[in-house]
Amino acid sequence: MSIVTLSADQTDALQEIVNIAMGQAGDSLARVLDTFVVLSVPRIRLIEAEQVSQSVAALMDDATTEVTAVRQSFSSHLRGEAIVIFTSGSVSALSDLMGYEHSVDAQTEKEVLFDVSNILVGACLNGVAEQLDADLTFSAPSIISENVTPDRVLTGNNLPWNYCLKVEVNFTLEEKNFKSHLLIMMAEDAIATLGESLNEFIAAI
Amino acid sequence: MNTNLQPQSPPLHEYVIERINVGVFSVNRDMAIVLWNRFMESHSGLRAEDVIGKNLFECFPELPRDMLERKINSVFILKNFAFTTWEQRPYIFKFAHNRPVTGGIDHMQQNCTFMPVKDAEGEVQHVCVSLLDVTDTSIYQNMLKKAMQSLAEASNRDGLTGIYNRRFLEETLAKEFSRVRRYGGNMSLVLLDLDHFKNVNDTHGHLAGDEVLRNAAQRVTAGLRQSDTAGRYGGEEFALILPETTSEGAEILAERLRARIADQPVQHENIAIPISISAGIAQWMPHMTRYENLIEAADVALYKAKDSGRNCVKVAQVQASNDGDARSQPTGT
Repeated sequence: MSIVTLSADQTDALQEIVNIAMGQAGDSLARVLDTFVVLSVPRIRLIEAEQVSQSVAALMDDATTEVTAVRQSFSSHLRGEAIVIFTSGSVSALSDLMGYEHSVDAQTEKEVLFDVSNILVGACLNGVAEQLDADLTFSAPSIISENVTPDRVLTGNNLPWNYCLKVEVNFTLEEKNFKSHLLIMMAEDAIATLGESLNEFIAAI
Repeated sequence: MNTNLQPQSPPLHEYVIERINVGVFSVNRDMAIVLWNRFMESHSGLRAEDVIGKNLFECFPELPRDMLERKINSVFILKNFAFTTWEQRPYIFKFAHNRPVTGGIDHMQQNCTFMPVKDAEGEVQHVCVSLLDVTDTSIYQNMLKKAMQSLAEASNRDGLTGIYNRRFLEETLAKEFSRVRRYGGNMSLVLLDLDHFKNVNDTHGHLAGDEVLRNAAQRVTAGLRQSDTAGRYGGEEFALILPETTSEGAEILAERLRARIADQPVQHENIAIPISISAGIAQWMPHMTRYENLIEAADVALYKAKDSGRNCVKVAQVQASNDGDARSQPTGT
């Protein structure tokens, strides 16, 4: 099996693009949420399907913390899925932030998670797409796992790919007890397309 | 001679947007409607010429304004898509649906996509909303959910007695056990065993035995608190899972149960069959790391009750032995 991977130059370019995109994302998120958002430096990695469960578990300080994960797909020039992982129980801080009324039932809780995921995912990916001169289409968010330990968010079974590119960013909200992790994942066939876009980007600078 | 006598048709994309069986409308930054297709016209009863140029929320005061403004504004600011799905928010517009007779729901169930419409400079000037009628999907989904619920319920029940089965008991015990280990507090487990049940079967037949089990199951489950769980653990054995209950509290409950069962024989085909139960109680202790430890402790106490002549209640008491290992020892009551 030949592994389509990114060259050192392409990885550097991607890191730069994602850094810029996250800076912009933090800014737009602060405007929408009206609070200061702290984003980590994005980490870019090529991972194998067998490592996926382990790599999600490694995001958390505590492997027994229950989490809920929301996914969203993006397509057109770049194709993949974005996954936002919330620690269960961080919803109350969020619903407050998103201006929902006090009584938050189970359905509204999900709506809050979807809204926040959609904003995080859109803000980050649109920033990346803009720099690569791409225009993305997004699917509606949906829950992939609810109240599970981090290692069970994604398991190596039944994944139709062998390896994928993973971009990982952590979000923290100042003043709020809230932390979430954004994973942008692109499977093997989409990596080649990303590589071409990166080549054009490198040629243009 | 002019062969083209037909009036000028609109461009294809205009025609499609106008006639497609999906709601399509757009608003500008002032929330004024700028596009309103035929689907929106026919379901809202308001024609495009009535609403175009007017504020969306003035035309439809019943809309969830806070939520929609928040969504639409986020599309303008972030230049990003936004969504609503029927599972979280069944509808935005109170539209009638095409299942008025067989539907069993109030309004058309809707999935909406809010799309940024960018100008040549890349600025978002409009938000275009597409509204899908997902009423049928939601009806099937709800039917499926109900079927799954009744299946789940059935798989938790014991076929003979109708009370919870061992599978459910163990699941509940495991959950309650990890809760008490994590957050502290108390919990107790009571194991109950019908005395001389084999004799009932041998003397009166298996039908009588079944009746005794059903009757005992009803008496065991009657009068429990909402948070307590009772079920059939095995053959003639029952279990009670009592959250936030010390062994003293469990003992009072078990003693009441024992008396209730011993006081009244079971009637089967005009024969009164006297029954009694023995009970073993164990309270969770911090040294117990697996829920099986709690079952073992209750089991030891139950055997003690059997050995002490049956029709009685025994509590497992925890004593730390010399090697530092705590063990459960049954003591009489």
